Amino acid sequence: MNLSIKVFCRMTLTKNYGLNGVIVSLVFLASFSFGYFERGVKLSFAEEIETLRIVGSTTVAPIAARAAEMFSKKHSGIRIIVNGGGSGVGINAVGRGLAEIGLASREVTLKEKKRFENANLKDHAVGRDGVACAVSSEIFYAGVTELTRQQIANIYSGKIKSWKDLGGPDRPILVIDKEKHRGTRHVFMNYVFGNVNARARGARLVTGSNNEERSKISQSDSAVGMLSAAWLNGDVKGIALKQDGVSISPTEENIRSGKYPVIRDLLFITAGEPKGILKEFIDFVRGEGGRSIVLESGYVPIHSS
Amino acid sequence: MFPFIVPDRRRNADPLFWSTVFSAGLVLATAVIFSSYLFWESLPVWDQGLWAFLTSVEWDPGEDVYGAGAMIYGSLIVTSLALLFALPFALCGAITASEFLSPRARLVFKGAMETMAGAPGVVYGLLGAAMLSLWVKDFFGLIDGSTLFTAGILLGIMILPTIMTLAEDAIHSVPGEYRDTALSLGLTPLQAFFKAVAPRALPGIIGAVLLGLGRALGETIAVMLVIGGLDIIPMGLDLFSPGQNIPSKLGREAAEAIGSGMHWNALIALGAILFTGTMMLTAAGSWLLRRRAV
Amino acid sequence: MNKRMLDRGLLGIIYLIALVGMIMMLAVLWEVVRRGWPALSLEFLLQPSSNFGAEGGLLYQTLGTIILMAAAVLIGFPIAVGSALFQTEYVRSEGVRAFFRAIIFSLNAVPTILFGLAGYLFFGVYLETGVSWLTGALILAIMILPTIQASIQSSIECLPEKYREVGMSLGMTPWALARRIVLPQCWHGAITGALLGLARAAGETAAIMFTAAAFSGATWPRSFADPVPTLQTHILVLAQDSADATSLTHAWGAALVLLAIVFFLILTSLVIRSRFSMEAQR
Repeated sequence: MNLSIKVFCRMTLTKNYGLNGVIVSLVFLASFSFGYFERGVKLSFAEEIETLRIVGSTTVAPIAARAAEMFSKKHSGIRIIVNGGGSGVGINAVGRGLAEIGLASREVTLKEKKRFENANLKDHAVGRDGVACAVSSEIFYAGVTELTRQQIANIYSGKIKSWKDLGGPDRPILVIDKEKHRGTRHVFMNYVFGNVNARARGARLVTGSNNEERSKISQSDSAVGMLSAAWLNGDVKGIALKQDGVSISPTEENIRSGKYPVIRDLLFITAGEPKGILKEFIDFVRGEGGRSIVLESGYVPIHSS
Repeated sequence: MFPFIVPDRRRNADPLFWSTVFSAGLVLATAVIFSSYLFWESLPVWDQGLWAFLTSVEWDPGEDVYGAGAMIYGSLIVTSLALLFALPFALCGAITASEFLSPRARLVFKGAMETMAGAPGVVYGLLGAAMLSLWVKDFFGLIDGSTLFTAGILLGIMILPTIMTLAEDAIHSVPGEYRDTALSLGLTPLQAFFKAVAPRALPGIIGAVLLGLGRALGETIAVMLVIGGLDIIPMGLDLFSPGQNIPSKLGREAAEAIGSGMHWNALIALGAILFTGTMMLTAAGSWLLRRRAV
Repeated sequence: MNKRMLDRGLLGIIYLIALVGMIMMLAVLWEVVRRGWPALSLEFLLQPSSNFGAEGGLLYQTLGTIILMAAAVLIGFPIAVGSALFQTEYVRSEGVRAFFRAIIFSLNAVPTILFGLAGYLFFGVYLETGVSWLTGALILAIMILPTIQASIQSSIECLPEKYREVGMSLGMTPWALARRIVLPQCWHGAITGALLGLARAAGETAAIMFTAAAFSGATWPRSFADPVPTLQTHILVLAQDSADATSLTHAWGAALVLLAIVFFLILTSLVIRSRFSMEAQR
């Protein structure tokens, strides 16, 4: 970068009023680079889908990635590329035809449906997951193991600022929010505030993927955040939600039975009904082979409940 | 027809001439299309009121409410912090290398700095996310290390070699006679530098700083990982609050909004602001750097 | 005497601050090497990554980075050569030259993420190349074009006038002039430019993170519409998982590999440049 700046400076120092010309042939290389371009355009119009592009929610991505690995072992000649980015990104990509499957950990919003009317988005549930209110393990072990909905709402709207008010240590709360389009956030905010787009005025940090959120919570000793239940571990604990005197932890059992209140379906979204290899792949994920993958990823298979 | 082109009839029959014209045209078209796209796509946002967009802090794609205030504030703060942090090191390094190092040591020094200046932003981002933000958190006793301060320091480290070697060039290009004259008048080497060399190198040094700032303003990845991502203007001048700057906002939200709707227009409008900012900095910087040669 | 003392003291402070700055740079390097080194092994370099980067190696990431930067230079280089020759050889009005110089300079100053946004919309959406290595290469080509062109142009402009005069007095055609005189004298400018362009493309993340890169499942591209995994985006994703020890080790390993590639390219260009600029001065 700075070398190029220096070269610029040097360039402007030397004044040379060029005489008649010196010419180097470029036609070959230039046409070569354009030939590339032409072929690229044609190939992306190819009738037969050999590459499946899957983009979206980082919650669903492990299922897709594992399933892709197994599926492409059985079917040679197909390649499945999985990318994260978030539910909003996945829906946008499939709506614009930039991916064959969009991953979402929330439902498609009305606004998105309206925008991608022509794409005729169809969703296929592949599993079920709970969204945990996650805290740093230090807080969990210091005694904050359950919260009511109102308490969480107060934390996120900035009314409660210290763990002391919740029976924990005298430490300020590090409130971690997520990017607005993330599926986990939609589901969580819908539970806490009854509005998927609710503002979190008490937030101190905004993160993106599940990985990022989990890192931030575990690096801190006083954080609270929203996290897919499958991402919980020794450093990041899911808090039980207290409703009508009963507390329900985000355990696999409670999510499976539907007792845990914040659950959502994990979706594969396609434009129109899937056909051919796309259908085969989705059937595979929803079938027996997919079940074990969903379980292995820490989620609840959809047909078992 | 084109009086600025060298007159030579043979050129019209020469395909090589036309291929160079084609290349130059392509470069020109790229620049024109790119900048007009930025401003064209951000028009819908300007229509809603330029001043409101620049100053409002509300950014809510769900409600189609957009204000760039927090991002602009964050960009300004982070860039100034980076400058304040990098400047003393860069200037002292430049003075030392140019005035007091042997030619051979200077060459090694310069080579090292120019190489470091090319280090990818994502490597700095990793350093920031995995180390610097944790240090900042522990050292200042914060609840989290993702702050405007962290981002500023990280950017400062990042632009340090760029500013250092450009400033060194500016100082080194001052002719030796100035130093000799000053020394023969009985001044110490340092006095000679400050009295005779520095005033002449000053425009070049400022140019170097502006170019470094241009780079800091546009850096995305390193900032994105450590700034906190919160669209607020903190109360007072709280550097240890999380914030947001323009490139980081673009990096986090662009993929979701790509191609359509007001959200995209608002992001492109942010881009246009950023573009204008870096362009002014680099234009001023390069003008100053060039001036020293005359 | 007092004045001398003050001078000494001031000089000491300047040295000290400069030293601290140097140490800071070295510490950056040292940390990357120290943390990346344990991750490096032949298997790490030659295995594909699996399980979202937590296992396996960097084979396709490295390959992807190399493909992207090579394709970018392949596309950008001829255009840069052509555009540089047009300005040095055919334009005689200083105003027009200054105009072109300003254009190139502005392109160089554009924050790379903006190239990512606009380039993606133009190539990826409008020309339907999608999220693919082709889109990334085209965007990177535009990004590094000013770097390459400036290097070529400065080396052509440094060519002594008499070389051309001799050539023309021998009645050479323009093509012969270029092949016999300009190219042998200026190739180092083109090579330096290409190397710097490669280095810039290799280190760039923002412009390709949502236009060309894939995280899981992509290997070497089989068509122009395929995305590739790259070292840069690999580090970016793993850096977000920085509380996880294995992810972090892999991230540092990838950072070290990337840094090695970039530094190798820059150092080579520095060596070539200094050697030839010395020769030209003689």
